[in-house]
Amino acid sequence: MRIRQDLCIGCGQCLPYCPMGAIERGKHTSHINWDECVECGICIRQTKCPVNAIYEPPETMEWPRSVRKVFSDPTSKHENTGVRGRGTEEVKTNDVTARFKRGFFGIALEFGRPGVGTRLGDVEVITKALAEEGIRFEAANPLTFLMEDALTGIIKTDVRNEKVLSAIVEFVIPQEDLEEICTKIYDTAGKAKCIFSWALISRFEPDGTLPVVERLERIGIKPSNNMKVNVGLGRPLKEE
Amino acid sequence: MTHSLHRRGTDEYLKNDFTLLVTAASGINHIGSRDGMIKVLEAVWEIGPTNIGSNERGTILSGVTVDQIREGFTKVPRVRCNFATKKKAFAAVKKIKELDTGMSVTLSGPLEATLEMCKEYGIKPHSINLSLDVWGKKDKLPSEEVLELVTMCGHGLVGRPLIEETIEKVKQGKLSPQKATVIIGHLCVCGIYNTERAEKLFEKCAPKK
Repeated sequence: MRIRQDLCIGCGQCLPYCPMGAIERGKHTSHINWDECVECGICIRQTKCPVNAIYEPPETMEWPRSVRKVFSDPTSKHENTGVRGRGTEEVKTNDVTARFKRGFFGIALEFGRPGVGTRLGDVEVITKALAEEGIRFEAANPLTFLMEDALTGIIKTDVRNEKVLSAIVEFVIPQEDLEEICTKIYDTAGKAKCIFSWALISRFEPDGTLPVVERLERIGIKPSNNMKVNVGLGRPLKEE
Repeated sequence: MTHSLHRRGTDEYLKNDFTLLVTAASGINHIGSRDGMIKVLEAVWEIGPTNIGSNERGTILSGVTVDQIREGFTKVPRVRCNFATKKKAFAAVKKIKELDTGMSVTLSGPLEATLEMCKEYGIKPHSINLSLDVWGKKDKLPSEEVLELVTMCGHGLVGRPLIEETIEKVKQGKLSPQKATVIIGHLCVCGIYNTERAEKLFEKCAPKK
Protein backbone atom coordinates (compact mmCIF):
# COMPACT_ATOMS: atom_id res chain seq x y z
CA MET A 1 0.00 0.00 0.00
CA ARG A 2 0.99 3.60 -0.40
CA ILE A 3 -0.32 6.98 0.71
CA ARG A 4 -0.82 9.73 -1.88
CA GLN A 5 1.40 12.51 -0.64
CA ASP A 6 -0.59 15.12 -2.55
CA LEU A 7 -3.76 14.14 -0.69
CA CYS A 8 -2.56 13.17 2.80
CA ILE A 9 -3.33 15.81 5.43
CA GLY A 10 -1.07 14.22 8.04
CA CYS A 11 -3.86 13.62 10.55
CA GLY A 12 -2.19 10.38 11.68
CA GLN A 13 -5.49 8.57 12.09
CA CYS A 14 -4.22 5.54 10.15
CA LEU A 15 -0.97 5.09 12.09
CA PRO A 16 -2.03 2.68 14.88
CA TYR A 17 -4.12 0.44 12.60
CA CYS A 18 -1.14 -1.09 10.81
CA PRO A 19 -0.36 -4.40 12.59
CA MET A 20 3.29 -4.02 11.59
CA GLY A 21 3.59 -0.38 12.64
CA ALA A 22 4.66 0.38 9.07
CA ILE A 23 2.83 3.69 8.71
CA GLU A 24 5.17 6.53 9.65
CA ARG A 25 4.51 10.18 10.24
CA GLY A 26 6.56 12.76 8.36
CA LYS A 27 6.61 16.51 8.86
CA HIS A 28 3.32 17.18 7.07
CA THR A 29 2.13 13.81 5.80
CA SER A 30 2.21 10.13 6.69
CA HIS A 31 3.78 7.48 4.51
CA ILE A 32 4.01 3.69 4.44
CA ASN A 33 7.35 2.01 4.92
CA TRP A 34 7.35 -0.07 1.74
CA ASP A 35 9.77 -2.66 3.10
CA GLU A 36 7.82 -3.25 6.32
CA CYS A 37 4.32 -3.24 4.80
CA VAL A 38 2.91 -6.79 4.52
CA GLU A 39 -0.05 -5.80 2.27
CA CYS A 40 -2.67 -7.05 4.73
CA GLY A 41 -5.07 -4.34 3.54
CA ILE A 42 -6.21 -3.18 6.98
CA CYS A 43 -5.27 0.45 6.26
CA ILE A 44 -7.21 0.67 3.01
CA ARG A 45 -10.22 -1.29 4.27
CA GLN A 46 -10.63 -0.12 7.83
CA THR A 47 -9.02 3.17 8.74
CA LYS A 48 -11.56 5.38 6.96
CA CYS A 49 -8.97 7.88 5.72
CA PRO A 50 -10.81 11.23 5.59
CA VAL A 51 -9.27 12.09 2.20
CA ASN A 52 -8.98 8.56 0.70
CA ALA A 53 -5.23 8.92 0.37
CA ILE A 54 -4.41 5.23 0.86
CA TYR A 55 -4.21 3.15 -2.31
CA GLU A 56 -2.91 -0.11 -3.68
CA PRO A 57 -0.40 0.59 -6.45
CA PRO A 58 -0.03 -1.87 -9.36
CA GLU A 59 3.41 -2.99 -8.13
CA THR A 60 1.71 -4.60 -5.10
CA MET A 61 0.71 -7.45 -7.38
CA GLU A 62 4.04 -7.76 -9.18
CA TRP A 63 6.27 -10.72 -8.40
CA PRO A 64 7.75 -11.24 -5.84
CA ARG A 65 5.91 -8.58 -3.82
CA SER A 66 2.59 -10.24 -4.69
CA VAL A 67 3.26 -13.01 -2.18
CA ARG A 68 2.86 -10.51 0.67
CA LYS A 69 -0.84 -10.09 0.06
CA VAL A 70 -1.43 -13.82 -0.30
CA PHE A 71 0.14 -14.51 3.09
CA SER A 72 -1.28 -11.49 4.90
CA ASP A 73 -4.72 -10.58 3.57
CA PRO A 74 -7.34 -13.25 4.36
CA THR A 75 -9.63 -11.80 1.70
CA SER A 76 -7.18 -12.74 -1.06
CA LYS A 77 -7.17 -16.17 -2.66
CA HIS A 78 -4.07 -18.24 -3.35
CA GLU A 79 -3.93 -19.70 -6.84
CA ASN A 80 -2.13 -22.79 -5.57
CA THR A 81 -4.68 -23.88 -2.96
CA GLY A 82 -7.76 -22.28 -4.51
CA VAL A 83 -8.91 -21.19 -1.05
CA ARG A 84 -8.42 -18.08 1.00
CA GLY A 85 -5.82 -18.57 3.68
CA ARG A 86 -2.19 -19.24 4.41
CA GLY A 87 -2.41 -22.99 4.72
CA THR A 88 -4.64 -25.95 4.04
CA GLU A 89 -8.00 -26.70 5.66
CA GLU A 90 -5.93 -28.76 8.15
CA VAL A 91 -8.22 -30.23 10.84
CA LYS A 92 -11.31 -28.27 9.72
CA THR A 93 -12.43 -30.90 7.22
CA ASN A 94 -10.31 -33.84 8.36
CA ASP A 95 -13.39 -35.99 9.02
CA VAL A 96 -14.07 -36.08 5.27
CA THR A 97 -10.59 -35.53 3.76
CA ALA A 98 -8.53 -37.78 6.07
CA ARG A 99 -5.62 -35.45 5.49
CA PHE A 100 -4.32 -36.65 8.86
CA LYS A 101 -4.81 -40.37 9.13
CA ARG A 102 -4.71 -42.60 12.17
CA GLY A 103 -1.10 -43.48 12.89
CA PHE A 104 0.15 -40.04 11.84
CA PHE A 105 0.36 -36.53 13.31
CA GLY A 106 0.09 -33.24 11.48
CA ILE A 107 2.40 -30.39 12.45
CA ALA A 108 1.93 -26.71 11.63
CA LEU A 109 4.56 -24.12 12.58
CA GLU A 110 3.15 -20.69 11.89
CA PHE A 111 5.98 -18.20 11.62
CA GLY A 112 5.29 -14.57 12.54
CA ARG A 113 2.25 -15.42 14.65
CA PRO A 114 1.12 -13.91 16.94
CA GLY A 115 1.29 -10.39 15.62
CA VAL A 116 4.97 -10.07 14.78
CA GLY A 117 5.23 -10.94 11.09
CA THR A 118 8.10 -12.71 9.38
CA ARG A 119 10.41 -12.55 6.39
CA LEU A 120 9.79 -15.66 4.29
CA GLY A 121 13.49 -16.54 4.44
CA ASP A 122 13.30 -16.73 8.24
CA VAL A 123 11.41 -20.02 8.08
CA GLU A 124 14.51 -21.74 6.65
CA VAL A 125 16.07 -22.22 10.05
CA ILE A 126 13.37 -24.82 10.66
CA THR A 127 12.61 -26.05 7.14
CA LYS A 128 16.25 -26.89 6.36
CA ALA A 129 16.67 -28.73 9.65
CA LEU A 130 13.46 -30.67 9.10
CA ALA A 131 14.33 -31.48 5.50
CA GLU A 132 17.58 -33.05 6.76
CA GLU A 133 15.39 -35.35 8.86
CA GLY A 134 13.55 -36.45 5.73
CA ILE A 135 10.39 -34.38 6.31
CA ARG A 136 8.18 -33.89 3.23
CA PHE A 137 6.32 -30.59 3.36
CA GLU A 138 2.61 -30.32 2.52
CA ALA A 139 2.32 -29.81 -1.24
CA ALA A 140 -0.97 -27.89 -1.00
CA ASN A 141 0.49 -25.31 1.39
CA PRO A 142 1.45 -22.02 -0.32
CA LEU A 143 4.78 -21.86 1.54
CA THR A 144 5.89 -25.18 0.08
CA PHE A 145 5.10 -23.69 -3.32
CA LEU A 146 7.73 -21.01 -2.59
CA MET A 147 10.51 -23.47 -1.84
CA GLU A 148 13.35 -23.74 -4.35
CA ASP A 149 13.45 -27.38 -3.52
CA ALA A 150 10.96 -28.93 -1.10
CA LEU A 151 13.48 -31.69 -0.39
CA THR A 152 15.95 -29.20 1.10
CA GLY A 153 13.49 -26.69 2.61
CA ILE A 154 15.29 -23.82 0.88
CA ILE A 155 13.11 -20.81 0.04
CA LYS A 156 13.35 -19.25 -3.43
CA THR A 157 15.90 -16.45 -3.47
CA ASP A 158 13.57 -13.86 -4.95
CA VAL A 159 10.98 -14.17 -2.15
CA ARG A 160 13.26 -14.60 0.86
CA ASN A 161 13.09 -10.98 1.92
CA GLU A 162 9.36 -10.59 1.43
CA LYS A 163 7.65 -9.76 4.71
CA VAL A 164 4.28 -11.34 5.54
CA LEU A 165 1.95 -11.48 8.54
CA SER A 166 2.55 -15.19 8.86
CA ALA A 167 3.57 -18.29 6.92
CA ILE A 168 2.89 -21.89 7.90
CA VAL A 169 5.35 -24.78 7.66
CA GLU A 170 3.03 -27.78 7.38
CA PHE A 171 3.80 -31.50 7.25
CA VAL A 172 2.81 -34.96 8.47
CA ILE A 173 4.89 -37.41 10.51
CA PRO A 174 4.40 -41.05 11.46
CA GLN A 175 3.37 -41.41 15.12
CA GLU A 176 6.59 -43.19 16.02
CA ASP A 177 8.66 -40.15 14.99
CA LEU A 178 6.93 -37.75 17.40
CA GLU A 179 9.64 -37.44 20.03
CA GLU A 180 12.49 -37.20 17.52
CA ILE A 181 10.86 -34.51 15.36
CA CYS A 182 9.52 -32.49 18.28
CA THR A 183 12.94 -32.49 19.89
CA LYS A 184 14.44 -31.31 16.60
CA ILE A 185 11.95 -28.42 16.45
CA TYR A 186 12.47 -27.68 20.14
CA ASP A 187 16.28 -27.54 19.70
CA THR A 188 16.16 -25.53 16.47
CA ALA A 189 13.69 -22.96 17.83
CA GLY A 190 16.49 -21.31 19.80
CA LYS A 191 18.24 -20.37 16.54
CA ALA A 192 15.15 -18.78 14.99
CA LYS A 193 15.25 -15.07 14.19
CA CYS A 194 11.50 -14.96 14.50
CA ILE A 195 8.68 -16.46 16.56
CA PHE A 196 6.34 -19.26 15.56
CA SER A 197 3.14 -20.73 16.96
CA TRP A 198 3.24 -24.49 17.04
CA ALA A 199 0.21 -26.70 16.42
CA LEU A 200 -0.09 -30.48 16.36
CA ILE A 201 -2.98 -32.41 14.85
CA SER A 202 -3.97 -35.86 16.03
CA ARG A 203 -6.81 -38.28 15.49
CA PHE A 204 -8.68 -39.35 18.60
CA GLU A 205 -8.17 -43.03 19.34
CA PRO A 206 -11.24 -45.27 18.79
CA ASP A 207 -11.85 -45.21 22.57
CA GLY A 208 -11.78 -41.39 22.58
CA THR A 209 -8.39 -41.01 24.25
CA LEU A 210 -5.46 -38.82 23.17
CA PRO A 211 -2.19 -40.57 24.06
CA VAL A 212 -0.22 -37.87 22.23
CA VAL A 213 -0.74 -35.45 25.12
CA GLU A 214 1.12 -37.67 27.58
CA ARG A 215 3.90 -38.30 25.05
CA LEU A 216 4.35 -34.57 24.51
CA GLU A 217 4.41 -33.88 28.24
CA ARG A 218 7.11 -36.51 28.71
CA ILE A 219 9.43 -34.49 26.45
CA GLY A 220 8.56 -31.20 28.18
CA ILE A 221 5.88 -29.86 25.83
CA LYS A 222 2.56 -29.05 27.48
CA PRO A 223 -0.39 -28.45 25.15
CA SER A 224 -2.73 -25.59 25.97
CA ASN A 225 -6.13 -26.44 27.46
CA ASN A 226 -7.58 -24.35 24.66
CA MET A 227 -7.75 -26.31 21.40
CA LYS A 228 -9.76 -27.02 18.29
CA VAL A 229 -11.79 -30.20 17.88
CA ASN A 230 -13.25 -31.56 14.65
CA VAL A 231 -16.36 -33.11 16.16
CA GLY A 232 -16.84 -35.58 13.32
CA LEU A 233 -20.15 -34.44 11.86
CA GLY A 234 -18.85 -34.20 8.26
CA ARG A 235 -20.11 -36.70 5.68
CA PRO A 236 -19.04 -38.94 4.02
CA LEU A 237 -16.98 -39.76 7.10
CA LYS A 238 -13.46 -41.06 6.48
CA GLU A 239 -12.39 -43.31 9.32
CA GLU A 240 -8.99 -44.31 7.91
CA MET B 1 -5.02 -22.29 8.49
CA THR B 2 -5.42 -22.51 12.25
CA HIS B 3 -6.91 -19.05 12.73
CA SER B 4 -9.13 -20.05 15.65
CA LEU B 5 -6.30 -21.75 17.54
CA HIS B 6 -3.53 -20.29 19.74
CA ARG B 7 -5.74 -17.94 21.78
CA ARG B 8 -3.96 -16.87 24.93
CA GLY B 9 -5.29 -15.91 28.31
CA THR B 10 -6.35 -17.21 31.67
CA ASP B 11 -8.94 -19.93 32.19
CA GLU B 12 -11.25 -17.31 33.71
CA TYR B 13 -11.60 -15.62 30.31
CA LEU B 14 -10.97 -18.54 27.95
CA LYS B 15 -13.82 -20.53 29.48
CA ASN B 16 -16.22 -18.16 27.73
CA ASP B 17 -14.64 -18.17 24.32
CA PHE B 18 -15.80 -20.71 21.72
CA THR B 19 -15.24 -20.40 18.00
CA LEU B 20 -17.41 -22.45 15.68
CA LEU B 21 -16.37 -23.18 12.08
CA VAL B 22 -18.65 -25.04 9.70
CA THR B 23 -16.91 -25.93 6.46
CA ALA B 24 -17.69 -27.63 3.18
CA ALA B 25 -14.77 -29.62 1.79
CA SER B 26 -13.78 -28.60 -1.71
CA GLY B 27 -14.07 -31.51 -4.15
CA ILE B 28 -15.71 -33.80 -1.59
CA ASN B 29 -19.05 -32.45 -0.41
CA HIS B 30 -19.19 -28.82 -1.52
CA ILE B 31 -21.49 -29.41 -4.49
CA GLY B 32 -25.05 -28.82 -3.37
CA SER B 33 -23.94 -27.70 0.08
CA ARG B 34 -25.26 -24.14 -0.15
CA ASP B 35 -28.82 -24.84 1.04
CA GLY B 36 -27.58 -26.80 4.04
CA MET B 37 -25.10 -24.09 4.92
CA ILE B 38 -27.85 -21.48 4.77
CA LYS B 39 -29.79 -23.51 7.35
CA VAL B 40 -26.67 -23.67 9.53
CA LEU B 41 -26.12 -19.93 9.23
CA GLU B 42 -29.70 -19.14 10.19
CA ALA B 43 -29.66 -21.60 13.10
CA VAL B 44 -26.45 -20.29 14.66
CA TRP B 45 -27.55 -16.70 14.20
CA GLU B 46 -30.74 -17.42 16.12
CA ILE B 47 -28.72 -18.81 19.04
CA GLY B 48 -26.89 -15.51 19.43
CA PRO B 49 -23.19 -15.44 18.56
CA THR B 50 -21.06 -12.56 19.81
CA ASN B 51 -19.69 -12.26 16.28
CA ILE B 52 -20.30 -13.78 12.85
CA GLY B 53 -18.99 -13.03 9.37
CA SER B 54 -17.16 -14.13 6.27
CA ASN B 55 -13.92 -13.21 4.54
CA GLU B 56 -15.99 -12.39 1.47
CA ARG B 57 -18.32 -9.86 3.09
CA GLY B 58 -17.01 -8.88 6.53
CA THR B 59 -18.67 -9.17 9.93
CA ILE B 60 -21.70 -7.92 11.81
CA LEU B 61 -19.33 -5.59 13.66
CA SER B 62 -18.46 -3.85 10.40
CA GLY B 63 -22.15 -3.41 9.58
CA VAL B 64 -22.69 -6.48 7.43
CA THR B 65 -26.04 -8.29 7.83
CA VAL B 66 -26.62 -12.01 8.00
CA ASP B 67 -28.47 -11.74 4.68
CA GLN B 68 -25.32 -10.27 3.12
CA ILE B 69 -23.18 -13.05 4.59
CA ARG B 70 -25.57 -15.62 3.09
CA GLU B 71 -25.57 -13.88 -0.30
CA GLY B 72 -21.77 -13.87 -0.23
CA PHE B 73 -21.45 -17.65 0.13
CA THR B 74 -18.97 -19.00 -2.42
CA LYS B 75 -19.09 -22.37 -4.16
CA VAL B 76 -17.38 -23.76 -1.06
CA PRO B 77 -19.49 -22.10 1.64
CA ARG B 78 -18.37 -21.64 5.23
CA VAL B 79 -19.83 -20.31 8.46
CA ARG B 80 -17.55 -18.68 11.02
CA CYS B 81 -18.75 -17.32 14.37
CA ASN B 82 -17.93 -16.95 18.03
CA PHE B 83 -19.96 -17.62 21.15
CA ALA B 84 -19.23 -16.03 24.51
CA THR B 85 -20.87 -18.78 26.53
CA LYS B 86 -20.50 -22.53 26.66
CA LYS B 87 -24.26 -22.92 26.70
CA LYS B 88 -24.75 -21.13 23.38
CA ALA B 89 -21.79 -22.82 21.68
CA PHE B 90 -23.03 -26.25 22.65
CA ALA B 91 -26.59 -25.40 21.62
CA ALA B 92 -25.21 -24.48 18.19
CA VAL B 93 -23.40 -27.81 17.80
CA LYS B 94 -26.52 -29.67 18.93
CA LYS B 95 -28.62 -27.84 16.36
CA ILE B 96 -26.11 -28.49 13.57
CA LYS B 97 -26.09 -32.17 14.45
CA GLU B 98 -29.88 -32.22 14.16
CA LEU B 99 -29.73 -30.44 10.79
CA ASP B 100 -27.45 -33.25 9.57
CA THR B 101 -26.07 -31.32 6.60
CA GLY B 102 -22.86 -33.35 6.39
CA MET B 103 -20.66 -30.27 6.73
CA SER B 104 -17.52 -30.48 8.87
CA VAL B 105 -17.72 -28.77 12.26
CA THR B 106 -14.88 -27.66 14.48
CA LEU B 107 -15.25 -26.09 17.88
CA SER B 108 -12.30 -24.21 19.38
CA GLY B 109 -12.31 -23.69 23.14
CA PRO B 110 -11.49 -25.46 26.42
CA LEU B 111 -10.87 -29.18 25.79
CA GLU B 112 -12.54 -30.67 28.85
CA ALA B 113 -15.84 -28.86 28.30
CA THR B 114 -15.85 -29.71 24.59
CA LEU B 115 -15.32 -33.41 25.23
CA GLU B 116 -18.10 -33.40 27.86
CA MET B 117 -20.39 -31.84 25.27
CA CYS B 118 -19.52 -34.53 22.71
CA LYS B 119 -20.32 -37.24 25.27
CA GLU B 120 -23.64 -35.64 26.21
CA TYR B 121 -24.76 -35.33 22.57
CA GLY B 122 -23.50 -38.75 21.50
CA ILE B 123 -20.85 -37.24 19.23
CA LYS B 124 -17.60 -39.09 18.54
CA PRO B 125 -14.89 -36.45 18.14
CA HIS B 126 -12.73 -37.12 15.10
CA SER B 127 -9.51 -35.08 15.31
CA ILE B 128 -7.89 -32.39 17.38
CA ASN B 129 -5.55 -29.47 16.73
CA LEU B 130 -3.45 -28.83 19.83
CA SER B 131 -1.73 -25.54 20.52
CA LEU B 132 1.85 -26.10 21.72
CA ASP B 133 2.65 -22.46 22.54
CA VAL B 134 4.91 -19.86 20.94
CA TRP B 135 8.57 -20.66 20.22
CA GLY B 136 11.62 -18.84 18.89
CA LYS B 137 12.52 -15.23 19.50
CA LYS B 138 9.94 -14.57 22.18
CA ASP B 139 11.43 -11.24 23.20
CA LYS B 140 9.65 -9.84 20.13
CA LEU B 141 6.27 -10.51 21.72
CA PRO B 142 4.16 -7.84 23.42
CA SER B 143 2.87 -8.25 26.99
CA GLU B 144 0.34 -10.96 27.85
CA GLU B 145 -2.24 -8.21 28.37
CA VAL B 146 -1.84 -7.24 24.71
CA LEU B 147 -1.48 -10.83 23.47
CA GLU B 148 -4.86 -11.81 24.88
CA LEU B 149 -6.44 -9.27 22.55
CA VAL B 150 -4.08 -9.89 19.61
CA THR B 151 -4.62 -13.66 19.54
CA MET B 152 -8.40 -13.44 19.21
CA CYS B 153 -7.73 -12.53 15.57
CA GLY B 154 -5.78 -15.51 14.27
CA HIS B 155 -5.24 -13.75 10.95
CA GLY B 156 -3.16 -11.13 12.78
CA LEU B 157 -5.22 -8.17 11.59
CA VAL B 158 -5.88 -6.76 15.07
CA GLY B 159 -2.36 -5.55 15.68
CA ARG B 160 -0.22 -4.59 18.60
CA PRO B 161 0.04 -0.83 17.90
CA LEU B 162 -3.73 -0.28 17.93
CA ILE B 163 -4.30 -2.51 20.95
CA GLU B 164 -1.56 -0.79 22.96
CA GLU B 165 -2.94 2.63 22.08
CA THR B 166 -6.51 1.56 22.86
CA ILE B 167 -5.58 0.00 26.22
CA GLU B 168 -3.77 3.22 27.14
CA LYS B 169 -6.83 5.32 26.32
CA VAL B 170 -9.04 3.02 28.39
CA LYS B 171 -6.60 3.22 31.31
CA GLN B 172 -6.69 7.00 31.12
CA GLY B 173 -10.50 7.00 31.05
CA LYS B 174 -10.54 8.56 27.56
CA LEU B 175 -12.30 5.58 26.03
CA SER B 176 -14.95 3.24 27.44
CA PRO B 177 -14.42 -0.54 27.27
CA GLN B 178 -17.44 -0.73 24.96
CA LYS B 179 -16.04 1.80 22.47
CA ALA B 180 -12.58 0.24 22.70
CA THR B 181 -14.08 -3.11 21.73
CA VAL B 182 -15.80 -1.65 18.68
CA ILE B 183 -12.55 0.02 17.54
CA ILE B 184 -10.52 -3.17 17.55
CA GLY B 185 -13.25 -5.78 16.94
CA HIS B 186 -14.27 -4.62 13.49
CA LEU B 187 -10.76 -5.25 12.11
CA CYS B 188 -11.39 -9.00 12.19
CA VAL B 189 -12.75 -9.87 8.74
CA CYS B 190 -13.95 -13.42 9.33
CA GLY B 191 -16.16 -13.05 12.40
CA ILE B 192 -14.43 -14.97 15.18
CA TYR B 193 -13.26 -12.08 17.36
CA ASN B 194 -14.94 -12.47 20.75
CA THR B 195 -16.19 -8.98 21.52
CA GLU B 196 -17.73 -9.85 24.88
CA ARG B 197 -14.41 -11.21 26.09
CA ALA B 198 -12.59 -8.18 24.67
CA GLU B 199 -14.90 -5.85 26.55
CA LYS B 200 -14.28 -7.71 29.81
CA LEU B 201 -10.52 -7.49 29.22
CA PHE B 202 -10.79 -3.73 28.64
CA GLU B 203 -12.92 -3.40 31.79
CA LYS B 204 -9.94 -4.74 33.76
CA CYS B 205 -7.90 -1.74 32.52
CA ALA B 206 -10.55 0.92 33.09
CA PRO B 207 -10.22 3.30 36.07
CA LYS B 208 -12.21 2.13 39.07
CA LYS B 209 -15.31 4.25 39.65
